[in-house]
Amino acid sequence: MSDIRQPDNPQQLRKILHIDMDAFFASVEQRDHPELRGKPIAVGGSALRGVVAAASYEARVFGVRSAMPSVTAKRHCPELIFVPHRFEVYREVSSQIREIFRRYTDLIEPLSLDEAYLDVTKDKQGIGSAIRIAELIRQAIRHETGLTASAGVSYNKFLAKIASDQNKPDGICVVLPQQGAEFVATLPARRFYGVGPKTAEKMAHLGIHTGADLRQQDLVFLRQHFGKSAEYLYHASRGVDHRPVKANRIRKSVGAERTYSQDLSSEAELCQALDQIVDIVWQRIEKNRARGRTITLKVKYSNFQQITRARSLDSYIPNRQCFAELGRQLLSELLPVPLSVRLLGLTLSSLEHELSNSGQAASQAVSAPQAKQYSFDF
Amino acid sequence: MKFVISRDALLKPLNLVAGVVERRQTLPILANVLLVLEGDQLALTGTDLEVELVGRVKLESPGEDGELTVPARKLVDICKSLPEGSEIEISASDNKVTVRSGRSRFTLSTLPARDFPSVDDSIGTHQFTVKQGQLRRLIERTGFAMAQQDVRYYLNGMLWELRSGRLRVVATDGHRLAMCTLAAELEAEDTQVILPRKGVLELSRLLLVDDQDISIVLGTNHIRATTDDFTFTSKLVDGKFPDYERVLPRSPDKAVIGSRLDLRQAFTRAAILSNEKYRGVRLKLSNDIMEIVANNPEQEQAEESVAVEYQGDSLEIGFNVSYLLDVLGVLTGEQIKLSMSDPNSSAQLEESEVDGDSVYVVMPMRL
Repeated sequence: MSDIRQPDNPQQLRKILHIDMDAFFASVEQRDHPELRGKPIAVGGSALRGVVAAASYEARVFGVRSAMPSVTAKRHCPELIFVPHRFEVYREVSSQIREIFRRYTDLIEPLSLDEAYLDVTKDKQGIGSAIRIAELIRQAIRHETGLTASAGVSYNKFLAKIASDQNKPDGICVVLPQQGAEFVATLPARRFYGVGPKTAEKMAHLGIHTGADLRQQDLVFLRQHFGKSAEYLYHASRGVDHRPVKANRIRKSVGAERTYSQDLSSEAELCQALDQIVDIVWQRIEKNRARGRTITLKVKYSNFQQITRARSLDSYIPNRQCFAELGRQLLSELLPVPLSVRLLGLTLSSLEHELSNSGQAASQAVSAPQAKQYSFDF
Repeated sequence: MKFVISRDALLKPLNLVAGVVERRQTLPILANVLLVLEGDQLALTGTDLEVELVGRVKLESPGEDGELTVPARKLVDICKSLPEGSEIEISASDNKVTVRSGRSRFTLSTLPARDFPSVDDSIGTHQFTVKQGQLRRLIERTGFAMAQQDVRYYLNGMLWELRSGRLRVVATDGHRLAMCTLAAELEAEDTQVILPRKGVLELSRLLLVDDQDISIVLGTNHIRATTDDFTFTSKLVDGKFPDYERVLPRSPDKAVIGSRLDLRQAFTRAAILSNEKYRGVRLKLSNDIMEIVANNPEQEQAEESVAVEYQGDSLEIGFNVSYLLDVLGVLTGEQIKLSMSDPNSSAQLEESEVDGDSVYVVMPMRL
């Protein structure tokens, strides 16, 4: 697959930056509302079902984390101030930051509004030093947006990402090629990509606590216990990660979901709610010029049990009406619902982008002319 | 309700009736089979609200009349695992159903029989009777071409067309089409209906005795088929089937006649090295020879050369080999005829005998 493709010249060391804004949404709010500075704030709804989208460092001291239910956050920190989100503003700041990145390189892979990988092996200004570029970028962000960012500098994405977290906030950390293996060895297993609480627990049972422990294991053992992640873990624990920085990251799915302030249970309510989601998702599909073959319905019941139902077609879903119809079908298979529903979501995946300007996609198209099955014209 | 029946007499209809029962039901009672006893006549019913199947068995001696429902899958599994030739006693009391056989005893849950849904029936407008074997041939020769979960929902089924007393069935998934016509003269008005895919598959399982009759009633929304042992009812697909005659090649100028077995074997071998996803093979036709070439992404290649009857311009055309093999798998004649015109137009396959009853159309692939 293309994402494990070797760089053009595998001998050449790459220079990769990971830039991560510090408590992004919360910092923007503190910047624009001076009265909030120095106080524990959370961006997101304080309502019963709200979730913390971002927490200021003052709030993090109390254990408030993003994605935490607002009710829980309030328990951790009773003085917590909830601020409604202003996504338009965050998006604007985000594009400001990307403009700054673009002064140094076009190889930018945004991961979200507030973080991105940059490949500065060949920077536009011929600066040559990745550390220098990282500092220039952090300075520019501070001057032009009034916000702080942390940077990780290394020779691959994995190390750069971990490094950016090392001296947060407003810090920089460099992992030189000769330090990579040593740096990884001391990392807790939990810091490896894809290792969540469950996997970490499993690893602990196997006596794996650090990068060094991981490195002791051979590929066969890793495959046996961690399946698909094995190869990644094997390489990462040696400080090796060949994934290229991909400008125009290829989207894998388009979707949307909504949590309702009041649970839904009647067929009429559910269908109406689904129609609204269809509208939102289809707009996004059109905006992204995406075509997909798989539709997935996600339902979370009032007891938080979550189920998904998917259907794949042989051909791309041709229009909104068909998308809506399929969504309705998936929903009807769950009716009558055994419990009331708190969340509904729809996603389109198995995507093929209609047109893509990225050179990557174009070159793939040239190298693999696809067979085409003709159809009857009825 | 209480009766005794031999395991084997029960299992045969029970298996078929339980086949209709969906694994994931919307209503709990749809997981059950309804048993109704009147004298020595036992009727078993399974339904998913789209398709309903009633099986009938005669008991050796009458039992106590009544009706009950029990979980279909569990009853099947119990009967299957009892020894052959054993006798089974089924009785109902106090919201439980008891199944006894020899030294085994099972107490099953039950739901009220009055809640068991029946498929709404519509008034029959067309009626005819054919032999089970005739219907089986129609379905076997075309069923494989039905679409599965296509958004064009009317393709997820089979067209039944009565025209001038002839019954023709057509199935297509948009890439290939299969059509078979019953030669018999039926006394029925012209009409077209679409049977849903599941209905077709369940119906074909009932066609056990070739020379026995099956009578068919078509209504506006339903089809009902009745044999001595079963009554099958299915909703029809409400939609317009495409005009299948439009996809038949107009005047293909290249007709090839070849041995069905030779071609089938050659395609089967070539398929091994075709692209697993697209299944494309290249046919190169020249005088009296058909070459078949398959490549896969690993750059492996299969080449076959089959002697055929053909004189004319050479032609190179690609096909999904699975579509060709599906057709060659259901045809039975010794020789088949393949008619084509160019690499972008549909190809027609049939038995080369003059009055074959089946026609297949396959769209080519660009490779």
